[in-house]
Amino acid sequence: MRVLIRGGRVIDPSRGLDAVRDVAIDGGIIRAISEHVEERGHEVVEAANCIVAPGFIDMHVHLREPGQTHKETIGTGTAAAVAGGFSAVACMPNTSPAIDSPAIIAEIAQRADAAGLARVYPIGTITKAREGTEIAPYHQLAAAGAVAYSDDGSTVRSARVLRNAALYARDVRGPFISHAVDEDLHGDAVMNESPHSAKLGLSGSPKLAEDVIVARDVLIAGDTGKPWHIAHVSTATSLDIIRWARARGTRVTCEVTPHHLLLHDDLFVDYHARAKVAPPLRGAADSSALRNAVRDGTVDALASDHAPHTAEEKSQLLSAAPVGFSGLEIAVGAYARALPDLPLDRFIALLSTNPARILDVEGGTLAVGSRADVTIFAERPWTVDSRRFYSKGKNTPFDGVRFERRVVATLVGGRLAYHVDRGVIEPLAYA
Amino acid sequence: MRIRRSLLDVDDLSREEIELLIRRSAEFRAHPQQRSLLAGVPVLNLFFEASTRTATSFTLAEQRVGADVISFAPGTSSLGKGETIADTAITLRAIGVRVIVVRHGESGFARRLAESFDGHVINAGDGTHAHPTQALLDLATLHAEFGRFEGLRVAIVGDILHSRVARSNIVGMCMLGVGVTLVGPSTLLPDDFARESVRIDRDFDNVLPHVDAVMMLRIQRERIAASLLPALADYTIGYQLGAQRLRLLRGDAIILHPGPYNRGVELTDEALDDPRSRYEAQVSNGVYVRMATLDLLVNGSAVPA
Repeated sequence: MRVLIRGGRVIDPSRGLDAVRDVAIDGGIIRAISEHVEERGHEVVEAANCIVAPGFIDMHVHLREPGQTHKETIGTGTAAAVAGGFSAVACMPNTSPAIDSPAIIAEIAQRADAAGLARVYPIGTITKAREGTEIAPYHQLAAAGAVAYSDDGSTVRSARVLRNAALYARDVRGPFISHAVDEDLHGDAVMNESPHSAKLGLSGSPKLAEDVIVARDVLIAGDTGKPWHIAHVSTATSLDIIRWARARGTRVTCEVTPHHLLLHDDLFVDYHARAKVAPPLRGAADSSALRNAVRDGTVDALASDHAPHTAEEKSQLLSAAPVGFSGLEIAVGAYARALPDLPLDRFIALLSTNPARILDVEGGTLAVGSRADVTIFAERPWTVDSRRFYSKGKNTPFDGVRFERRVVATLVGGRLAYHVDRGVIEPLAYA
Repeated sequence: MRIRRSLLDVDDLSREEIELLIRRSAEFRAHPQQRSLLAGVPVLNLFFEASTRTATSFTLAEQRVGADVISFAPGTSSLGKGETIADTAITLRAIGVRVIVVRHGESGFARRLAESFDGHVINAGDGTHAHPTQALLDLATLHAEFGRFEGLRVAIVGDILHSRVARSNIVGMCMLGVGVTLVGPSTLLPDDFARESVRIDRDFDNVLPHVDAVMMLRIQRERIAASLLPALADYTIGYQLGAQRLRLLRGDAIILHPGPYNRGVELTDEALDDPRSRYEAQVSNGVYVRMATLDLLVNGSAVPA
């Protein structure tokens, strides 16, 4: 199958390319990038006034399979991914059962193949069943296809267990990913601890609960030499800790989410759980620090923490409702809203080249000969309507918000998986 | 169609309405039998959390205004889920309930119920968030004493963090021009409570001579297990109202307590027996304030004064 992406502004941070070019794809591989490619039996994707970038990779999503298919399936989650501009996602292991065995990784790979939309990179657990006691079989998980390790959703409580895990896994490819929250300090909190929580009579989680674990984990990273990644950083202090660790040579990377970049802890006045998330939304000073940390290079990746739940689950009382909300389909618009001044090559690197490097996976480049994972986007206003999500999780605190940047098309291995005019294109349409 | 109103916190009322409500409650004190006001209006008392004083006070107030009173204590387990709240609200309205007086252990419950209920909701306490009729009766007690609000200074002392009474009083007092000083240890009174017209002063002795009223909040022993407090004997050194501190309080100042009190913890027998204590006046004002609240919500504020 031959595809021609015609007339777009091609920006590839991996090679410093920024020019209007045609992109020719054949057999799933990028064959040529030049000023003009002759159309010869190509399926043409018009990209005039669009940006053509290496396929975006969301390194932090919850696909809920196995075991929580009422919230999401690999099918609906990868449809949401390509609709959001992501040709690949890394899925977190807090499933039922958790992703702590090669068999579960094989099952995920099989379902992702069957869905035929975005690539799925499984993240294995750090501890068995995410219970924080026995360490996971990293060599087996890696052999089956795990790209990183995390007990996301909770923190490994014991520094001894985490240190042993990192030492044992040092020779295994892929970073450890921290979900940083001291559960003891967090307690039964439903939101950030702030004047808002004080006024509303809601239990607040102090920023300290995140910061102490970020500090502990970068120290363990430094001690063990294991490459480390801090998920969804939400505080200015955690950013400072990460800067400090890097300055002393620790291999640590980090990501920020659309919601922490844009939203604050003033969204609970009606006591609904739509903005309940972990870590909680903080104040304006922290979101400003996060945006600056993206600009100054402290932040390596943008990641949505796509965490779908049913409407029924999210409509429960604040104490009972689960944390998180869908993120894949709003991410690109939200990042652009948060960082309108960010140069496009930086924007693209944070969404493709850098996550590919952190996870040590193929992608993040449009080099001739590489796999044709491509994201096309444009400056085109649109309004978030969660009812139209491909994800089963039809809730987001961004509902009704207008964004300026929109995904136009997503190609995965040379196949058009999403186009704004056609929606998600199931693989059967090609048969 | 009349707009249905709820009382979820004190600021659901205007300043004028609070003043009207306090005037009306003074009238009801003189003429407590007002059975025509809500004659035949079905009022449901829905108490998920145990309550003696507030439930009894509401029930008597409802009877005095002639309502058809239904009381239901579902316990804490049922009706926890969002969809269930909406379904329950619709069912109760279909049965004919027009007013729900609700108490629940979770902050925001009354608001979530009111959002789905086509009737009036009166918040009788939601978690650590609000308890507006308690604040209104405290305000009525202050007004009965001083005849005004503007310029008064009130200290609220103790476990502010876990107190819905404190939060509602802060809201009401700020609306009415009463200066509020909060007193307590940082574990029970985080700095986040400070805002315009709300001061924090952790030196109780320093605060006492300057206030018109001091409100002593109940201290619960479970705060010790949660590492928020050491032994109660340590707490009392800084924050108990006892014989020595009573001497620092002005002669024309008053002592308030939302009850139930713990003798020997936040205050001593001397404080309870002190002629400046208004505990009984607060409790009896509660019935009249709740009568006036029911009347205001159901009949509107255009009732002849």
